[in-house]
Amino acid sequence: MKQLLYTEWLKVKNYRTFWIMLLVAVIMIPAGNYVPANVMSSRELDQAAKMLGQSPFGFPVVWQTVANISSYMTALYGLMLIILVTNEYTFRTNRQNIIDGWERRQFVYAKLIWVLVLSTVAFLVAVLTATVLGFVYGSNTFSLEGFSYLWYYWLQLVLELSLALLLAVLMKRAGFAMAIFLGYIMMLEQTLVLLLKKYLGPVGGLLPLQTGDELLPFPLVGKMVAANSDRYDDSVYLLFLVAYIVLGIYLVFRKVLKSDL
Amino acid sequence: MSILSLQNISKKFGAVQALSGVSFDVPQGAVYGILGPNGSGKTTLLGIVTDILKADTGSFRLFDQAATARQRRQIGTLLETPNFYHYLSGYRNLEISAAIKQRDKNDIARVLDICGLTARQHAAFKTYSLGMKQRLAIASVLLGDPEVLILDEPTNGLDPAGIAEVRELVLKLASAGKTIILASHLLDEVEKVCTHVAILRSGRLLRSGSVDVVISRHDYLELAAADNETLQSALAAYPGCSSVQINGSVVVAVFDASPEPAQVNSYLAQRGIWLQHLQLRKKSLEKAFLEITNDPA
Repeated sequence: MKQLLYTEWLKVKNYRTFWIMLLVAVIMIPAGNYVPANVMSSRELDQAAKMLGQSPFGFPVVWQTVANISSYMTALYGLMLIILVTNEYTFRTNRQNIIDGWERRQFVYAKLIWVLVLSTVAFLVAVLTATVLGFVYGSNTFSLEGFSYLWYYWLQLVLELSLALLLAVLMKRAGFAMAIFLGYIMMLEQTLVLLLKKYLGPVGGLLPLQTGDELLPFPLVGKMVAANSDRYDDSVYLLFLVAYIVLGIYLVFRKVLKSDL
Repeated sequence: MSILSLQNISKKFGAVQALSGVSFDVPQGAVYGILGPNGSGKTTLLGIVTDILKADTGSFRLFDQAATARQRRQIGTLLETPNFYHYLSGYRNLEISAAIKQRDKNDIARVLDICGLTARQHAAFKTYSLGMKQRLAIASVLLGDPEVLILDEPTNGLDPAGIAEVRELVLKLASAGKTIILASHLLDEVEKVCTHVAILRSGRLLRSGSVDVVISRHDYLELAAADNETLQSALAAYPGCSSVQINGSVVVAVFDASPEPAQVNSYLAQRGIWLQHLQLRKKSLEKAFLEITNDPA
């Protein structure tokens, strides 16, 4: 595993595109949370929030708020993974890595390392952002209550990156994979969710990325919506979310292990 | 010990049967040429051996063991095209190759020097010429001084000087006792180095084994006289002469066994034919190869 990690490190160490994308992706999390935190902490909104219960950027709700907002800014991580994987196909280094002495499954492990690394980077940045915002914009003392929302955020990222990985190994070309990935996460799934919910009920909430969204409602709005909507228990969404991750990774293994490279 | 042992390998791409039932063994220390025209299945065969393609049927072993990544790491392989990260320098690309092959990074300077890339080692791969890319691929093959090399068209993209250098390199490696599997359609490069050959056509193995056994290359005679047509008919009657043709200003006579020029000369003189030209020639591998691959059987 150490050897895989070292080899993947050599591949990106001097890859400028990767570092620039990572920088932007990392900055987006605090930046994207800072704007709403700032707006909502204006005196009037703050008052309104307090009337509803708790301030969205104070502890402990800040974990949920930041997890929710950050979950809208994950596309760049998926695009980074697609670039890292399709590069191998474009340069035919996926073949060379095997020829030189990796097992095919090691090639998949190497890419799963990226799923883990990128999702964990985003998770840690979100944790740091929530902590800082909680102290700056909240008046409550530090609390880890509701921190599980950040774990849901991490799981949703793992799922999104698994989907990006699957598309990359199936499409092999960056352009195709990116177009389908962006189309799906930005519009297609939402449309399907709405249609399914409208005609078939809460089953619409079980589409892959929607499972994460169901687990990550915006604090105050979510409470109001949840109170009068037809939905499954959180454990159902969690189960489906994990099942989709397992399925995605299984399909990646199947594709890479069985087909001609 | 067999370095590579193939049993009944078949592979289809859609409707195209790329390989059908190919079996042969590569003994240790051999320089094994895999010959065949374009599209005959050479690269497909080597792709299966290196696990980037999956055979439909059949099996193979490396070093008398089931083939895994561990065996592949002991083989330096150049397959079809040089595959490297375009945005990295030649040196950094070799760092990656060395990491995967689990070879010492300190060997990179040596192989870059052998391949004449030391001066450009820190330039990005995408700035390399076709020949330099090929040289980098050969450098990667040599990393860690492997005992077995697989070279698929190693002189692709090289200029005449580069081709000669690669041929010298292969000869040097062969004389150092390395086992080399060399796929090529350039027979000239194979002719000078191979001890064994396997000949493929349309995915079928036509012949394989030691070069002298597989390709019988009897010497032939090139002759000329004042009247080449008379010479031709006289030679046709010579015992053991299998074919005789007028080729420009000379007559080419092929025999079942290697001919004895003095005897032929004396035979012709007895018939009043006085030669202006008589030369014993060796049949080129190319000619022998074409005879084999054109044979409809």
